[in-house]
Amino acid sequence: MVRTHGLKKHFRDPKTGIKRAVDGIDIEAQPGRIFGLLGANGAGKTTVLRMLSTVILPTEGTAEVAGFDIHSQSQEVRASIGFMSNSTALYGRLTSREVLEYFGKLYGLNTSRLKERLSYVIEKLQIDEFADRLCDKLSTGQKQRVSIARTILHDPNVLFFDEPTAGLDVVASQTVMEFIEEARDLGKTVIFSTHIMSEVERLCDDLAVIHEGVIVARGTPKSMLEMTGEHSLERAFLQLVKFQAGYVSAREGTV
Amino acid sequence: MNDVVIIASKELREMFRDKRVRFNAFIMPMFLIVLIVQLFGFVMHAAMGATKATVYIVDTTGLAANALNKSELKNAAGKGGLGIQTVPSIEAGIKMIQSEKAKLVLALMPPTTDGQIRVEAYYDPKQQMGNLALAGMKQAIAEANKQNLIQTLAEKSIPASAAEHLKLVPKEVKVGGVGAGEMIVAILPYMIVLFAFSGGMSMAADLVAGEKDKNTLETLLITPVGRNQIVMGKFLALSGVCFLSSASCLAGMVLAAMLKTPGSQEMFKDGFGVTPIAAATIILMLIPLVAFFASILIAVSSYAKNPREAQTYLAIVNFIVIMPAIFSQVIGLTDLGSKLWINLVPVLNTANNIRAALLGKTDWTAVGITVVFSAVIAAIAIRIAVWLFNREQVLVRV
Repeated sequence: MVRTHGLKKHFRDPKTGIKRAVDGIDIEAQPGRIFGLLGANGAGKTTVLRMLSTVILPTEGTAEVAGFDIHSQSQEVRASIGFMSNSTALYGRLTSREVLEYFGKLYGLNTSRLKERLSYVIEKLQIDEFADRLCDKLSTGQKQRVSIARTILHDPNVLFFDEPTAGLDVVASQTVMEFIEEARDLGKTVIFSTHIMSEVERLCDDLAVIHEGVIVARGTPKSMLEMTGEHSLERAFLQLVKFQAGYVSAREGTV
Repeated sequence: MNDVVIIASKELREMFRDKRVRFNAFIMPMFLIVLIVQLFGFVMHAAMGATKATVYIVDTTGLAANALNKSELKNAAGKGGLGIQTVPSIEAGIKMIQSEKAKLVLALMPPTTDGQIRVEAYYDPKQQMGNLALAGMKQAIAEANKQNLIQTLAEKSIPASAAEHLKLVPKEVKVGGVGAGEMIVAILPYMIVLFAFSGGMSMAADLVAGEKDKNTLETLLITPVGRNQIVMGKFLALSGVCFLSSASCLAGMVLAAMLKTPGSQEMFKDGFGVTPIAAATIILMLIPLVAFFASILIAVSSYAKNPREAQTYLAIVNFIVIMPAIFSQVIGLTDLGSKLWINLVPVLNTANNIRAALLGKTDWTAVGITVVFSAVIAAIAIRIAVWLFNREQVLVRV
């Protein structure tokens, strides 16, 4: 499970002063369900996931990931999560197998467990044919399969996906989405950030719409449609974002 | 510790697969040392030849007295290793100098009333070979004059010692053990220090800034491994490369000594001269130095947003770091090398002690101070690198 409490992240911007990238977010993602973070570019989705994975510290608030506190148990949090994004890269001068072995060791897998998990992910993601090829020589789809293998190698309970299909072709996107569905079916807690509505419709059990660092709506995809009275998630999202723009202006007293 | 080793091993594996690193850190230092030895050897060989150059004589009078003096000169020149050929006129001699066919032309002038023969020496002062030939001729004439005086004194039953009331007798004093040649002592400390830094530069930009740029750093930060361990793993790998790059200079010197080229033979005519003690001293002093350099490189790479920015900063830092190393090449012209405080000047202290070790004059107090002081500043530099690597705004800035 993942639960956040008033999570905030403010950055110091030399031009504009304080930038409120995330401004008090409360979400709860359950095991065996996919939680979608829906928002436009710059809405704060990646910042939320970075805080949850302990790459950056929140300015305020806290969160529990797989039962561990992100402040006091950051190492345990990192050992319990898998993280994948569209920008996640591989080491070009290492082979796929070497990359997987490297991360397996860093996740503390012992020799026999590492061997077992390597065989599993290599077979599962059909990496065998290019396992000993340098990552620089792999196609985008092959790289994505290796990235997925790296994400699940240590069998984490919580998985974060930050726009994992951006820039991928239809076939590669399909592989990623099937993998996310499978993770849910295995009882993993999945948080999936995206701005592609078709993926939200297909994958997400729960949803939060994030805009300018705050949650403007939460529920299921169906409840979002009911809430807005729209027939598509895209229109519902646009309506919610417009609502938020007014909300922010009103909150700041400019309207 | 295990995670530090895992990270260092992976970094080293990646580095050794990179052609740029293999070339810049290992092949380049060896190649440069071999090339420098050949070039210096060739220049020294040519300079030695210039002091034995052919001297062109112009006999302005054609008098028999001059013929006598000319043969006397020839005799003196022969002792100085100079050859003699006759030129018909001063103008012809000058033309030969202008067309660089002659380095030195001597014109024998008619004897003065008291019997002195003026010898006008024509040469191009801008040409080093001409200056060297002139110096050789001066020495030969001085020797001829001395012999002439001794003979005159003998005819008057005056002892030869009167011609040389004060006689300078050089006596070499052996200081320290076996040492390397002068040129090697001048070049090697500088090259060893230079490549301890620049050998690691080729990969330093990739280590952190490159990982930020390629988005692999975040993947690493999400593992349970602590940031201190990550940065120490990278530091360990980089230190290894810096050290091996420096050691490649020594390997290059050994390779150059093994070659049978005229350059190598000229430079190593007195033997290789780098003793096992000198080599061990060099290695001892290199350890804290490469730790210091690797920390600087990691700190810069952590601070930069991407490899291009890192390379820009590193080019500037390289200049600052290398300045003391450059000074080490000329420190022999001053007496600073023996001052104790020089061991507290970073980089210069190591280069200076390497120089002393190569000369076979290792001062263990100076080596001790240098090693301890270098270790202290390396520890400070490592601390700064770790602090920078832990700074969120530095690490995740894009």
